[in-house]
Amino acid sequence: MQIRYFANYRTITGRRTEEVAAPATMLALLEQLSTRYGAELRRWLLSADGLAKGENAVILLNGRHIEHLDGVATTLKEEDVVSLFPLVAGG
Amino acid sequence: MAKQIVLKPEKCVNCQTCVMVCSFKHFGEFSTTLAAVSVFDYEEDVVTVPVMCLQCDEAYCVNICPTGAMHHNGEGVSEVDYDKCIGCKLCMQVCPFGNISFSPKQRKIFKCDQCGGEPECVKHCAAGALLFEDPENDSARKKAVADSLKNMVVEEVA
Amino acid sequence: MNAWTGTILRVNLKDKTIVKEALNTKWANDYVGARGLGSKYLVEEIDPAIDALGPKNRLIYMAGPLTGTSAASSGRFEICAKAPLTGTIGAANSGGYFGPELKFAGYDGIIFEGVSAKPVYLYIKDDVVELRDASDLWGLNVHETTDALNELLGSKFRISTIGQAGERMSLFACVNNDKNRANGRGGMGAVMGSKKLKAVAVRGTGSVKVAQPEAFNEAVCDARTKLRAHPVSGEGLAALGTEVLVNVINESGALPFRNFRDGAVDPNADDYSGERLAATYLIKNRGCFACSIACGRVTRVTNSPYASFGEGPEYEAGWAFGASCGVNNLAAICKANFLCNEYGLDPITMGTTIACAMELAEMGAIPEEDIGFKLFFGDADAMVRLTEMTGKGEGFGLTLGQGSYRMAEKYGHPELSMSTKKQEMPAYDGRAIQGMGLEYATSNRGGCHVRGYLTSPEILGVPVKTDPLVTEGKGALLKLFQDLTALVDSSGMCLFTTFGIGLPEISAQLRTAIGTDESDEDFLLKGERIWNLEKQFNIAAGVEKDTLPPRLLRDELKQGPATGKVCDLATMLKDYYAERGWDKEGVPTKDKLAELSLG
Repeated sequence: MQIRYFANYRTITGRRTEEVAAPATMLALLEQLSTRYGAELRRWLLSADGLAKGENAVILLNGRHIEHLDGVATTLKEEDVVSLFPLVAGG
Repeated sequence: MAKQIVLKPEKCVNCQTCVMVCSFKHFGEFSTTLAAVSVFDYEEDVVTVPVMCLQCDEAYCVNICPTGAMHHNGEGVSEVDYDKCIGCKLCMQVCPFGNISFSPKQRKIFKCDQCGGEPECVKHCAAGALLFEDPENDSARKKAVADSLKNMVVEEVA
Repeated sequence: MNAWTGTILRVNLKDKTIVKEALNTKWANDYVGARGLGSKYLVEEIDPAIDALGPKNRLIYMAGPLTGTSAASSGRFEICAKAPLTGTIGAANSGGYFGPELKFAGYDGIIFEGVSAKPVYLYIKDDVVELRDASDLWGLNVHETTDALNELLGSKFRISTIGQAGERMSLFACVNNDKNRANGRGGMGAVMGSKKLKAVAVRGTGSVKVAQPEAFNEAVCDARTKLRAHPVSGEGLAALGTEVLVNVINESGALPFRNFRDGAVDPNADDYSGERLAATYLIKNRGCFACSIACGRVTRVTNSPYASFGEGPEYEAGWAFGASCGVNNLAAICKANFLCNEYGLDPITMGTTIACAMELAEMGAIPEEDIGFKLFFGDADAMVRLTEMTGKGEGFGLTLGQGSYRMAEKYGHPELSMSTKKQEMPAYDGRAIQGMGLEYATSNRGGCHVRGYLTSPEILGVPVKTDPLVTEGKGALLKLFQDLTALVDSSGMCLFTTFGIGLPEISAQLRTAIGTDESDEDFLLKGERIWNLEKQFNIAAGVEKDTLPPRLLRDELKQGPATGKVCDLATMLKDYYAERGWDKEGVPTKDKLAELSLG
């Protein structure tokens, strides 16, 4: 599956995109990426207890905010695209 | 050494919040002409510079004051004792930096007094352009210079 | 008076009379300030049916009660007039430093009446107010005018001016202050140009006072602390500007591509994103007066045929010249945006009007000889050239300068103007963000995102997350956002503060500044009153009903998470009118007007 990083996540990971094997759920993916890129990314992606999405993370699965899917329990497939953002706004 | 207001013009975004909170703290109203801090904008160079009293050790303003109103307060700050001030404005004239002002409406000399140790401008500067710290301990700035030197060395080696 | 100076300048451009009159304090209380108060004066003084570019229109500058204080991001003011682009009530808000300086000079607002025989500018230095000859300034662009006046009067004067586009009454000419801040939408610059008023130069050495200094300071500290702690207002906007939105909107399948014709996903969006701008041309971020957010971009394009220096682009402008025109050349996008700031044009309408011309040209609806060259989506050179031609009023630029609706109508396809009430919709697709479709349809000044920014809850989840693809609940949510926004715009604060703070913090600053014990709900009700006042004007002006271009109602999206969606406007509109207490035609009921003391 494809992961797309945006805003300061690009600085933290040093990447714009990468391909990874799809773990079973979104939570497993966030855990995996947090482990790979360290505490700074973890603070954004995951809640303090590691069981929920970070409060200030925007996580899209194929363009849909995971809040309108099954949240971090959403299951993943190899053809999925996950887009990861910090909370941003403008207008 | 006592803490000082340290200026970081490279971070200033020209929002003038320091100007507003300074006049409000000292005069209870918002005015660009009642603030002891000013911000100058150099548009072409994309730099804005906040300026205020630098609290000189050998302060001309203190030395020239005929009544002793302008005095060192013992904590690195030169202050006006308004009971003694006669409004002669000599201090304004001798300040090499132009950092002493006079309000015609209030009939009052004013300058930065560091708000008694808790400068309002520093508190509200979101950009981090104004800091209140011991100027000898600006290790971040030292490190930034060291970093750039290191990068030059690394590039040369590469 | 607390928070106010208590004085309004009334300037008759025909008779050259200048009168200092007392602020109408009842109206200031009922309509808050800036947008609301300026609109109230306008409604009281003009017949809604008048020609917006005729002598009977007014041009009203109005500050808010918080303008010129330390309140969070409070440097804003409004320019109000009947809008020539839309025929609606016009109200365009701007930051910068002009609004506060006007209050320091001793004035809450300026009402311009009539038309001058010769170009003039208004000089204000505290008590001294004079109409001065502007013959030498006429024909100069925004930057040149600002420099010339600063040279003449001193750098401490704050300048609000039109460029050549306003002089020639392009229907989407804006009024710029501090060079690159603009009262952008609806053609306020055209109204100014129609009055032969080139600029207002103001310098004020006075002060603004508040009713309860200690309580006010507490409220300000609370608001500022929250804004600095919030990831959007404390960090994201300073680092990446509003262009940070490009990728998240695009990934959500909501970035309208090529005049909304080719869906809402631009495969090259990252090329002009906030991330890319920061990595390339960004020199520094800037803040308006009293602003801790500092979203402004100072940018310099080098090593490019589009080499130039200026501010921006911000998100909507970046999209208008980017995805909307199918252009992904960031240097060209910057250049086109800079040109808008120099000629005094609204970049949203400029970019989207060029996009509409590109579509019409590709269809063969606009003959090549009318434009002077072949035009197609993605042609960055043509985009920059057409912007320049519009600014200068040359050739096809004269047609573009009327906005996309009049241009598309001229060539037989008004339905391809992506506008509501003849003003172009900005950078969110109402099919992928249903609530934004409702916002565009109901906005009192035509296609506009900042009258009720539902992108915030629908896409970003601020302050709560709602589903962008459902219609349920959008009517109530939009009403709340529109009313709150009317309050914020009228207070003198920037709408961007609402990412980090809400009604309680905004009301607390207003309450302590003015000196009142009104509740948060009382303040929100004033927002609703302002909204209904604007609506009443539009109805009286005969403005068309609330709808969207057929493309959003009929053509399904073919990509992204909103695949298969159109904007279900009819369903949302019904709910919205019910929530507003309006009848089925969208007319405020007698009961609602009585409730708002608007009877």
